[in-house]
Amino acid sequence: MTEPILRVRDLETKFFTDDGVVQAVDGVSFDLMPGETLGIVGESGCGKSMTALSLLRLVPEPGRVTGGEVLFKGNDILQMTADEVRDLRGKDLAMIFQDPQSSLNPVLRTGFQIQEAMLAHHTADRKSSARKAVDLLKQVRIPAAESRVKDYPHQLSGGMRQRAMIAMGLANSPSVLIADEPTTALDVTVQAQILELIRDLNQELNTAVIMITHNLGVVAGLCTRIIVMYAGRIVEEGPTKQIFKNPQHPYTWSLLRSLPRVDADRRERLRSIEGLPPDLIHPPSGCRFHPRCPFRVERCYREDPALAQVAPDQRAACWVTMDRAYKEMNAGELVDVRPGAGSGVNPGVLDG
Amino acid sequence: MAEAAVAAEARRAPGRTLLDVREIVKHFPAGVGQSVKAVDGVTFDIKSGETLGLVGESGCGKSTLGRVIAQLIAPTSGSIVLEDVELTKLRGEKLRQQRRQLQMIFQDPFASLDPRMTVGDIVAEPIDNFGVMRGKQRTERVKELLRVVGLNPYFTNRYPHEFSGGQRQRIGIARALAVNPKLIVCDEAVSALDVSIQAQIVNLLEDLQAQFNLTYLFIAHDLSVVRHISDRVMVMYLGKLVELAGRDDIYDHPKHPYTRALLSAIPVPDPEVQSQRRLVELKGEIPSPINPPAACRFHTRCPIARVPGICSEQEPLLEEKARDHLSACHFANEVS
Amino acid sequence: MATASATPADRFDAVPARAQVSLWSDAWRRLRRNRLAAVSAFYLAFVFAVAIISLVWTPYSTSHLGVVTPYGGPSGAHPLGGDQYGRDILSRLMEGARTSMTVGVGTQIVVLAVGITVGLLAGYFRGWFDTVVTLVINIFYGIPDLLVALILVFLIGQGSLGTIIFAIAVTRWMDMARLVRGQTLSIREREFVEAAKASGAKPRKIIFGHILPNALGPIIVQATIGVPSAILFEAFMSFLGLGIQPPTASWGSMAADGVNAIRISPHIVLAPSLALMITLMAFNFLGDGLRDALDPRQRR
Repeated sequence: MTEPILRVRDLETKFFTDDGVVQAVDGVSFDLMPGETLGIVGESGCGKSMTALSLLRLVPEPGRVTGGEVLFKGNDILQMTADEVRDLRGKDLAMIFQDPQSSLNPVLRTGFQIQEAMLAHHTADRKSSARKAVDLLKQVRIPAAESRVKDYPHQLSGGMRQRAMIAMGLANSPSVLIADEPTTALDVTVQAQILELIRDLNQELNTAVIMITHNLGVVAGLCTRIIVMYAGRIVEEGPTKQIFKNPQHPYTWSLLRSLPRVDADRRERLRSIEGLPPDLIHPPSGCRFHPRCPFRVERCYREDPALAQVAPDQRAACWVTMDRAYKEMNAGELVDVRPGAGSGVNPGVLDG
Repeated sequence: MAEAAVAAEARRAPGRTLLDVREIVKHFPAGVGQSVKAVDGVTFDIKSGETLGLVGESGCGKSTLGRVIAQLIAPTSGSIVLEDVELTKLRGEKLRQQRRQLQMIFQDPFASLDPRMTVGDIVAEPIDNFGVMRGKQRTERVKELLRVVGLNPYFTNRYPHEFSGGQRQRIGIARALAVNPKLIVCDEAVSALDVSIQAQIVNLLEDLQAQFNLTYLFIAHDLSVVRHISDRVMVMYLGKLVELAGRDDIYDHPKHPYTRALLSAIPVPDPEVQSQRRLVELKGEIPSPINPPAACRFHTRCPIARVPGICSEQEPLLEEKARDHLSACHFANEVS
Repeated sequence: MATASATPADRFDAVPARAQVSLWSDAWRRLRRNRLAAVSAFYLAFVFAVAIISLVWTPYSTSHLGVVTPYGGPSGAHPLGGDQYGRDILSRLMEGARTSMTVGVGTQIVVLAVGITVGLLAGYFRGWFDTVVTLVINIFYGIPDLLVALILVFLIGQGSLGTIIFAIAVTRWMDMARLVRGQTLSIREREFVEAAKASGAKPRKIIFGHILPNALGPIIVQATIGVPSAILFEAFMSFLGLGIQPPTASWGSMAADGVNAIRISPHIVLAPSLALMITLMAFNFLGDGLRDALDPRQRR
């Protein structure tokens, strides 16, 4: 049994704003195995980006990691000194972001920035780092790498910049690559290429990848396991195939049904999720999804469900679960997806 | 709901031609003697009551085309006829008056509403600008518009920043409906919204179309949404239309290699399906619109291009290659 | 819509995402929390009050000489002492406050009127008008402030408050014009302006209904920070004998008069100088505080 390379336990990150305390990440726990591709999905505000930033202690003001542990190879990142974390960042754990334009320094040549990543962590000396930078650009499939290495970021297209960012991330052979919406700002054809690249790199280098995205199509193609987040919590996790085929949490289920698909041939009305994303300063009582859930029951208003096993290797935080919803609430035939429509509990009422 | 779906299907039979667009060109100056050929000769029509989808990647010119259609940018040349009125010949006040017929829903729900205006004033702005109604009538109309888009009509005195992205987009939609336009250009109207909210707004747009017999030009980069909402779809590449066909036709039997590559790149939220798909790789990068390739603009990246050959020597015209299916490719029938 | 049977109330997104608070009250709240700015604001309000009161009352008459011992130091009856002509300094200081405030605010009113108009039109319409405006602004920048003021004062005649306000405004309007032009150029590219155009708004509506309200933040800050600059200019001019003419009190002229007696009675120079310094500082703190409070990016 291999050990997880990353163990996150009860991670909590809060933002202290003028309007109150935002519980951006509220008790998140998961494991990452070496070489695994893990997807963290959710909509904006669910805490997925903040979770990633918390792992590397990059949470911006006025936010702070307020609790939990992040064990990387047994050592808690949250307890390390600033220097120790800096050592880790960019070497063992690398992160790439959505907008390569703001992550790359516009006044430095691209190759130089990749070299810097190696020099800062002493993984290569000046001469060999220059050569390695070219190799890295080749590895991320940038054509004419020898000349591209001297280009400034603005001379590269969006897709190439993102590849350069990936090259920078991989420069020191990290064990974990965290990718926060790396393809959201890119054209669809470029996105597909970048995702293929990440998939291939994961297989070639055995670098574990945490892919954070709101796009369920992206994780469907890339990740073996996914975590679904809502309101700062994990609501469901498990193998990708299993969750897509048999989602147990009503949020996951609703989300999957609300997606228009490019391969859909019948024109069905999209099953949207009613209501708004929750207020993270004053989250709903009980289960955070209950104001919008078609299958809520009385208990959902009062008690907050914890993650529990719902299928082999799959866990969901729900008092009802879709299995029961299908059996007892006719979820399969349900057309009206208003909150409470399936369970009959306060149908149509969007509680605050 | 079932009734809405049935009504939607029934309405699908398109009516008469509402907008006739011919050879629209828009070039932007870009330094000495050079120009960005954002839109370079586009011809199509929109039928009353239909939703025409317009897709393409960045730099294809779809946003520019949308703004030209909405009369926010003047075309360099070409003609746009809206029900017998030649819009490109209008200036000043006459042009302004025509705006009643062409409204736009913008992409960014945070930027498209004036943060210093109340929601009520924002929605009523077209009404005020055209002097359509005043006083109590105006107030009632605003309330009704808010109701129709699913917002509480008593929020007229609130400010945009008090609302979420999805709600703001509804406000934008209410504004677009205010003076009963004939055509609404939706420029990436749902792209900036969360996935679950996207579905709400897409449903809303469809419901409104059924209720008020609206006509949409739906510009988007997300082909999944476009497939869902459109009746016909056009694909743009580097300022030109490369394909125009009915919705199912273009998705199931594309007749342009670019369209096919685009379709293969869209991630499908289904691991089984995803694992079996093959990505059609395109060589190289999108060329600059300042110097688009000669002849067929796509030939530098096309997987089936004959180069050197007809593809690099002769520009393919957008022609009917099958019934109601236009494509600008010399080898259109070899694509699928 | 999706469900015909639902009651109207639960069909709506019932609750707005945030509690109702206008952008101005949000800014106000942030300003209040800035101690320095809040204190400055109180101080300035106090100075304004003093200035207004001085219209109808001062502890002692300032037009009669010998009310107090000439060069007399601070005492119980005269907390700030007397000047070389035996006038009560405190009373003169109050009148000086009036002068300074009038000049300071008056200049800014002119600057706002000219600067905003020119800036909005140049920024919105661009073209030849903008080119001309930019040229004029740069020409004005090229001429030294003092020279312009001197020339105007000589031409129009010394002494009147109006002349001084005009002279100072002539050297200051460009900052506002440039700021407003810059704001206009950036705001007109924002999507809601495009949306307004699509809604059929005429240029006048766009300029005054959309662009100006959104540019108010930086304009207010600029105007606030412009006040001390104007007051200082006036003080300087008066110090040189070109500004306020005796016997009208101005902090600058008071300081000018008192310089000669600095060794015997330093309080004559100190009082107005300190008043000037503190007031200028207060305006600057307030201006900074306003800038932070009105910065839309800082919405938290």
